Amino acid sequence: MTPTERLFLDGVQGEVVEPAMGPLTALGSDPFEAADLAEEPFSERLERLRPAPAPRPGLLRGVPSATLPPPRTRPRAPSPESMPRQRVWATTPRLAEVEFAEQSGLLDRLVPESDRRRLAALGHLVDGEAPYDRFGFSPGALRAAFPFFLALYRFYFRVKSEGHENIPAEGPAILAANHGGLLPFDGAMGIVDVLLHTDPPRLARAIVDRWAGRLPWVNVFYARVGQVVGTRENFSDLLEDGQLVFVFPEGVEGIRKLVTQRYRLQRFHVGFIEQALRAGAPIIPMAVLGSDDQAPILFDLKPLARRLGLPVAPITPTFPWFGPLGLLPYPVRYRIVYGEPLRYYERFGPEGAEDPRLVRYLANQVRRSVQSLVDRHR
Amino acid sequence: MPAVLVTHADEPLGRRIVKTLFHDERVERVLALGAGAAPRSFDRFLAGSPPRVAYARVDLAKHRPMADLFHSARFREAAIDTVVHVPSHGPSGALASKTHAGPLVSGVPSRTAEARLVLQHSLDARSVTSLIVIGSAFVYPLAPGNANRLSETNELDLDPNVPAEIRSWIDCDMVFHAEVGNHRARVVLLRVPTVVASGGFVYLNPALSGPSGLRLRPIGFDPMCAVVAEQDVARAVLAAVHGGTSGVYNVAGTEHLPLSVLGRWTRRPTVPVPDPVLRAASFAARMLREPQLRASVEGAHLRYGFSLDTRRAERDLGFRPGYRVGLGRAGDGRVQLETAPV
Repeated sequence: MTPTERLFLDGVQGEVVEPAMGPLTALGSDPFEAADLAEEPFSERLERLRPAPAPRPGLLRGVPSATLPPPRTRPRAPSPESMPRQRVWATTPRLAEVEFAEQSGLLDRLVPESDRRRLAALGHLVDGEAPYDRFGFSPGALRAAFPFFLALYRFYFRVKSEGHENIPAEGPAILAANHGGLLPFDGAMGIVDVLLHTDPPRLARAIVDRWAGRLPWVNVFYARVGQVVGTRENFSDLLEDGQLVFVFPEGVEGIRKLVTQRYRLQRFHVGFIEQALRAGAPIIPMAVLGSDDQAPILFDLKPLARRLGLPVAPITPTFPWFGPLGLLPYPVRYRIVYGEPLRYYERFGPEGAEDPRLVRYLANQVRRSVQSLVDRHR
Repeated sequence: MPAVLVTHADEPLGRRIVKTLFHDERVERVLALGAGAAPRSFDRFLAGSPPRVAYARVDLAKHRPMADLFHSARFREAAIDTVVHVPSHGPSGALASKTHAGPLVSGVPSRTAEARLVLQHSLDARSVTSLIVIGSAFVYPLAPGNANRLSETNELDLDPNVPAEIRSWIDCDMVFHAEVGNHRARVVLLRVPTVVASGGFVYLNPALSGPSGLRLRPIGFDPMCAVVAEQDVARAVLAAVHGGTSGVYNVAGTEHLPLSVLGRWTRRPTVPVPDPVLRAASFAARMLREPQLRASVEGAHLRYGFSLDTRRAERDLGFRPGYRVGLGRAGDGRVQLETAPV
């Protein structure tokens, strides 16, 4: 450890030190990359991690705790915002119990009856007289858009999937998947796949980045088909409602991977781990194979992307040479695999969400699970 | 038993609040103030000997009439202990409503001037121990997307470019919010989103306020609007009158509607137009000094939706929405927005 700077804070002299490079000791270190962790059993690592004191904010690592002033905290009355909401889970009926009227429209003729029954079941997710939930989801809009995505699912991407038994039939759960491809067809195919292979039918509520809310038409479409802008409040609301939340923890880093990094997962964000621990939701690792092949990025013109306010300015074999058509995905075969649920909340409880090192560690574990699924089925 | 003074009782929300207070046996008497003549629906309230409801015409934005009222023998005899301030909000049967946010001589919007005077005189009057105010939920800044979950702890939108109509609501909010911790009188501020009423009426939504007719909205956006039935607003006021707490509370119903659907259901269909058209309309509104028109073509509320976190009102006031909002068929066969008890 090399002292790099001397600081004074609250009258206490401390030294800022380089983060220790031992396993799991420094906030932000990446155990996934650490070779020495490969031999250590997971359970032992968790035990070692758990009692470790949380790092003190303010770069005062390395100062003996006896010399630090006591933390200036005062007991707080619980605010209503922190109170759990007494809600009934938003559930859908089993397929055999769904009542739905036969429709004779053109769109209805394109969708088999069993799938229409699934769509009808989703109507139970909307409470109240108005046919929208607070996020803007409309079962009617989803029904209208479904034939197009079903055609993509069956005939264009020819999706094959397995492991659906790992998706809980009810209650809050988080699907954590790898992200790839320029346009989020991996999300769309994941949502369709979950809907077609669960009974009672479940709608995966995908969490989308905030910048999507600024895009004309796109923001309305996303909202109507059940996708939600990713904020803490929305995430926790969905889980409290007992919904299935679909996240891409890589974020936009996932979609701007170059072709040389295909199927190598980027660093995971940690918010979904915090939410899973607080809500007591299992995390289901999900591998989406094919998305990284649908639009291989040769170069990413980052300065141009920054100037245009876009997450990526790609050069692909077809874009920009064929104009906007060049952004269309190639007809690759998709394969979706669901892993076994990771129930971290059983071991760490809601208070685990307050420990940043634990949260980061668990995020890396989920990433490792998804990566192993990807590697195994590629 | 409380004796309640209600301001702007001649406007839709005020009328509903007076009606609710009248039917509540725990309220001793109601003094209703309005800018115009007493609404015809008050006729049966004003009957009786002595009547439980009295009505007076007062210009709330002017100091002298307000001082006269609060120092009058009538006010003293009524022993008013609760003031319910309903800021001017909608199509009034009496005075022109377009000056709610318009400048007075002193340059202060009338809504803000009224708020200041009501607060000042209420705190000066010895008998008044509770002040309940209706505010707008459009005072919050909105982030991109439809899913802004807003709680009472969210900051107010202090962007100087906010349209004057919304700015007046923010000023009004701050005037009362500053007195929430007042030790002499308890102050309750109820922030409500779009208020709807049976028959396709809509209030307090800057994009849809004013008479029915076409509205503009930016193409490619259709924000979700939290709605609350006017009966629920009156119920929340009643809960605040009988409650013992002070503070800021979000009050909302269970339904959310896209702006386009809400407009259609309330005879204010929206037309999506490109941004340059909206900017031109906004410029014209500025030139014409029409703050309401400007608020209907400018602002984040035209693009981004929100919903309100109402847990605090549920915990402290015991308020839960009791009315649903949906479509109904009127007697003439026309389909329009209706509210109905759950």
